[in-house]
Amino acid sequence: MKHLSEEEMIAQVYGEGDKTTAKRHLEGCAECSKAYAGLQSDLAEMKFADPPELDAFYGERVWASLSGSLHAYRAPKRKWLGGGVWRGLSYAAACVLLLASAFLGGRLWEQKRAQKAAEISSRQKQQQVVPVPHRERVVVVVLGDHLDRSERLLMELTHADAGSPEMISPLRDEARSLLAANHICRQHARPHDDPELATALDRLDHLLDELANQPGGLDMPTLTRLQNETNAYGLLFEVRVLRSRLPERQAAAAGRTKGGTI
Amino acid sequence: MLRMDMDDHAAIQAVLAGDKEAYAALVVRHSRRLYRVAFRITGNQADAEDVVQEALPRGYRKLESFESRSDFGTWIYRIAVRCALDRIGGSKVDESSRVAETTNREQNGVQVADREAGPERLLLSGEIRAMQQIAMHGLSPTERTAFMLRHLEDLTTEEIAAAMGIEPSAAKQSVFRAVQKLRLRLATLRVKI
Repeated sequence: MKHLSEEEMIAQVYGEGDKTTAKRHLEGCAECSKAYAGLQSDLAEMKFADPPELDAFYGERVWASLSGSLHAYRAPKRKWLGGGVWRGLSYAAACVLLLASAFLGGRLWEQKRAQKAAEISSRQKQQQVVPVPHRERVVVVVLGDHLDRSERLLMELTHADAGSPEMISPLRDEARSLLAANHICRQHARPHDDPELATALDRLDHLLDELANQPGGLDMPTLTRLQNETNAYGLLFEVRVLRSRLPERQAAAAGRTKGGTI
Repeated sequence: MLRMDMDDHAAIQAVLAGDKEAYAALVVRHSRRLYRVAFRITGNQADAEDVVQEALPRGYRKLESFESRSDFGTWIYRIAVRCALDRIGGSKVDESSRVAETTNREQNGVQVADREAGPERLLLSGEIRAMQQIAMHGLSPTERTAFMLRHLEDLTTEEIAAAMGIEPSAAKQSVFRAVQKLRLRLATLRVKI
């Protein structure tokens, strides 16, 4: 038989623990019953002195001694929208408003950015598209002038006489002047657009270079050679043909300009 | 003029709304009970009154944290128990005080030495309660408080634990150890007498 521990007995005295089991055991166990009776007796003897009696106004006296040291609570301020549920709702509304503002702001910013990007792109396109026809038109004009002058030079070269220096010297000066212009025309000429023009300008360049930069000046053999080359290649004829086609190029460039600006 | 007509809840609301005087109703209503439990724990009137004077202002300052669904009486009672426990736990036992104890191994018990009032004199004068008070001084503050709340205030283990701010198992053990020690010491005293 398992006897009750002292702890169980103490709990039993104070009305705690497993009362039914303990009571049943105490009824059947003389040893535990005796111990339990002793415990009850000891605890029953433990009667401690009651607190000294207080007068009828003890509470009032305590308050009188305390009240001076207590500071009044501040009356709570009126809660925003009454507090509680309303405050929660207002916080939620504020959050929603904030999110909506952020969303709309983002959308507007995106739109503005897209507009700006479109404007920049449009400007870039205009800058790219519009100047090309202008430039081409300028090139055509310059080319026309260059071919005019080249034709006159080739005419003079064909009829030039190496024995008369008054003819040779202006020829060389004009060749030098045309050489620079010819370089520009060659740079701007697009061989894939007009291979005949490119070929003619190349030959013209070679001729002008010989005329302008011949060491020791133009002597009879050199002049004759250049005259022969000019005739052999039909350079004068080529220049005239190219010049005659310039009005068409001018018209084409003007048309592209219109198209570009529309 | 003190307003005693307010119930605890109304008084608390009034205090928190800025009406300091409303706390008077709570003080008058609960101070006697606080005094009683403080006396049980500290064992003397002066300390008990001090505990009341300490617990009630502490309750006033903490009133904002008091949950209105709780019972103010229980709440302030717990504050008073802790104040009393602090008081007996914080004060060191004076060597020159009327009670000092040593363990006598040969007698396998606790010997109570009192220069002014020996056990014989206590018994002869019939002051059995004084003898018990002496035995009580051999308990730790926790044991003493737990035992008083159990034996005299009739609190359950859970209520003792809540009042003292300890676990229920610790409260139960404290009561158990207190009863063991008291029985042992009182038995020794009886033998000596």
